[in-house]
Amino acid sequence: MKLTFPHMGNAWIAIQALLESLNLDYVVPPFNSKETLTIGTHLAPESYCLPLKLNLGNFVQAAQLGADTALITGGAGPCRFGYYGEMEREILQDAGYPLEIITLEALDGSISGLAERIRKVAGEKNSWQKILKAMVFAYRKSLAVDQIEHMLHGFRPFAQSPLEADNLYERAKEKLVQAMTEQGIKEALSWLSEQIEEKLAHSSYQEETPLRVAVIGEIYTILEPFVSMDVEKELGNLGALVDRSIYLSGWVGQHIFLGLAQGYRPLKPYYSLAKPYLAHFVGGHARETIGAAIHFAQKGYDGIVQLLPLGCMPEIVAESILPKVQEDYGIPIMSLTVDEHTGKAGVQTRLEAFLDLLERARSQNKVINKGVLELAGK
Amino acid sequence: MRLGFPRALMYYDYYPFWAGFFYKLGIQLVLSPATNREIMNRGLKLAPDDTCLPIKILVGHLTALKDVDGIFLPRLISMEEKTYLCPKVLGIPESVLFAIPPEIKVYTVDINWRAGKRKALQSLMAFGVQIGCSKSQIRESFVEAQRWMRAYQRMRNASWSFEESMERFQALMEPGKFDSLGFSQIKEPPKTESLNEERDYRPKIALVGHSYLTYEAYANLNLLHKLKEKAQVYLVENVPSPAIEKEQDKLRKRIFWSHAKKVYGAGAVYIQDAEIDGLIYLSCFGCGTDSMTNDLLARRARKAEKPYLVLTIDEHTGEAGLVTRLEAFLDMLERKNSHEAHFSSYGQRLDSDSGLA
Repeated sequence: MKLTFPHMGNAWIAIQALLESLNLDYVVPPFNSKETLTIGTHLAPESYCLPLKLNLGNFVQAAQLGADTALITGGAGPCRFGYYGEMEREILQDAGYPLEIITLEALDGSISGLAERIRKVAGEKNSWQKILKAMVFAYRKSLAVDQIEHMLHGFRPFAQSPLEADNLYERAKEKLVQAMTEQGIKEALSWLSEQIEEKLAHSSYQEETPLRVAVIGEIYTILEPFVSMDVEKELGNLGALVDRSIYLSGWVGQHIFLGLAQGYRPLKPYYSLAKPYLAHFVGGHARETIGAAIHFAQKGYDGIVQLLPLGCMPEIVAESILPKVQEDYGIPIMSLTVDEHTGKAGVQTRLEAFLDLLERARSQNKVINKGVLELAGK
Repeated sequence: MRLGFPRALMYYDYYPFWAGFFYKLGIQLVLSPATNREIMNRGLKLAPDDTCLPIKILVGHLTALKDVDGIFLPRLISMEEKTYLCPKVLGIPESVLFAIPPEIKVYTVDINWRAGKRKALQSLMAFGVQIGCSKSQIRESFVEAQRWMRAYQRMRNASWSFEESMERFQALMEPGKFDSLGFSQIKEPPKTESLNEERDYRPKIALVGHSYLTYEAYANLNLLHKLKEKAQVYLVENVPSPAIEKEQDKLRKRIFWSHAKKVYGAGAVYIQDAEIDGLIYLSCFGCGTDSMTNDLLARRARKAEKPYLVLTIDEHTGEAGLVTRLEAFLDMLERKNSHEAHFSSYGQRLDSDSGLA
């Protein structure tokens, strides 16, 4: 059995750590690329959401490298993600890639069903204790991934050049991937924070305070730079201090550890914030999106960018409600819908225009803010 | 008290439930008029661009509710066990509040059958406080609502047309007619369609899709009527639920949306039914669950070599295009039956020579 899994931003670092510490045979699929998307778009139903298309591309590319079993998580809806595993199995079967797809989920709360599947993946040689230990270690790594990303968010607007930040990011990730102990993870993190501190102390650090922009929305889209057209990076390079609503470990904590672990950015506070605007969960991350918008508005952010894949059902609900948040809190919110035809230049232009408006609103204080609000959203 | 109720989306499946519920409470439900150009246009203008057509229509209907003391917009989370409705339905009412002027009060209640019937009744009782009804009143009305709903389901299974069923319920809503409920008549066979021209070839076609599309005559350009002129039409609602459940058991993982489950189950039943000449899947742009059920059914149809046509409608659909495709499909069916044994099923020849990289 040769395992593989779909990409979602830097999630592969944590999943790799998990499979590696269990001594399993696996393939990390090639990173999301134009080719991945082309394969996925060809196979997937036209109007299915974008992450499925990339998942399919990942699996086909991994199958070409010898993978025969794919891992994915699931759920009982009502977001379409809950049915990904089944769709993917059937689509790949018909396309001539008979991958076995194992959905790691506790359907109808059946923990024994989940345990059975984990046992199937982990094989007989791994004890439950070892499996649990590996999961905790993978979780630690996901936390570290988030910390690295957050540190980079803080550094990017001050970097001398985009390349400088990119280099730091890549090297920190490299160190993290290689780390196979808790100590190693710590070292990777402290290396990065030292580097950043040193650079900020040295370089011609600008006094002006950068605009603060938050990225919120559907988890796959905000975590996967290939889909978001590097929105976070672009915003940072344009001089904005970026934060994000959902980090990987927050999602892992909520969905894999069923809320027992908090993650780098806990999702729970979002629910109570969102309550006056959306009283019930609707699947996906709609409540988190609305809660996060309020969270960042309260923290005095200058603007918010919502990212969603075309046709994403929960995010459309959020998108319909966000104008109300925008109005109540006076914070400009821009919704960006992405699909397989999204071009980088188009996204970049919109981001630049958005930041220009935010900049103007800030320099002319609140007088113009109303105009921005009208332009930013619907 | 007069409560507005939009004639859109969940109206097509659950209106009898609410009609019965409020009838018993003595509250008048006021329906918005049938979808027309004005309603559609207002919906398109107000709703977010990338939401689906049925939600846009719903938004239009909300603006058309006049002279009411409030608007009733329940949040239907789940109407049967182990399923959900689609996320966009769960997002109602908050996601459509922008369409309602602030001076109109919105009444809402969460219905979550997933957690059991008792839970549904509990939330209705909490709702009863809002509208000043006692617990026993609510309990009685809940029983009545379910009775109306069952009657409706029987009518649908007995192949009554949607209009016929609704007319019956509308008539009941008028004062004085309540005593002659007429539920006993439901078992009587449906009015036999005038099949005088039996010598003419009339294919048997299954029209599969969400109820709020198949019966939405304005949005689907009167498709059902057009189809009935040329063929014998079978609908999702004509398939009894045990057959739908049976199809679910064949899947490795059950479909967790109740509408998608029904649509898939009915489609799968019709694909296996040798009597049915072909299937038409009516979908709309932006429907999340259709992207899945349509694909699953298309695969089944291809394997069974069952003619399968997908019609996707949106606010720009033109009548000529729809009619052309419909006629071409019917022609193909006729030719298949008289001359040829096989023609390619949906998707089979699309893109067939551009192999994968």
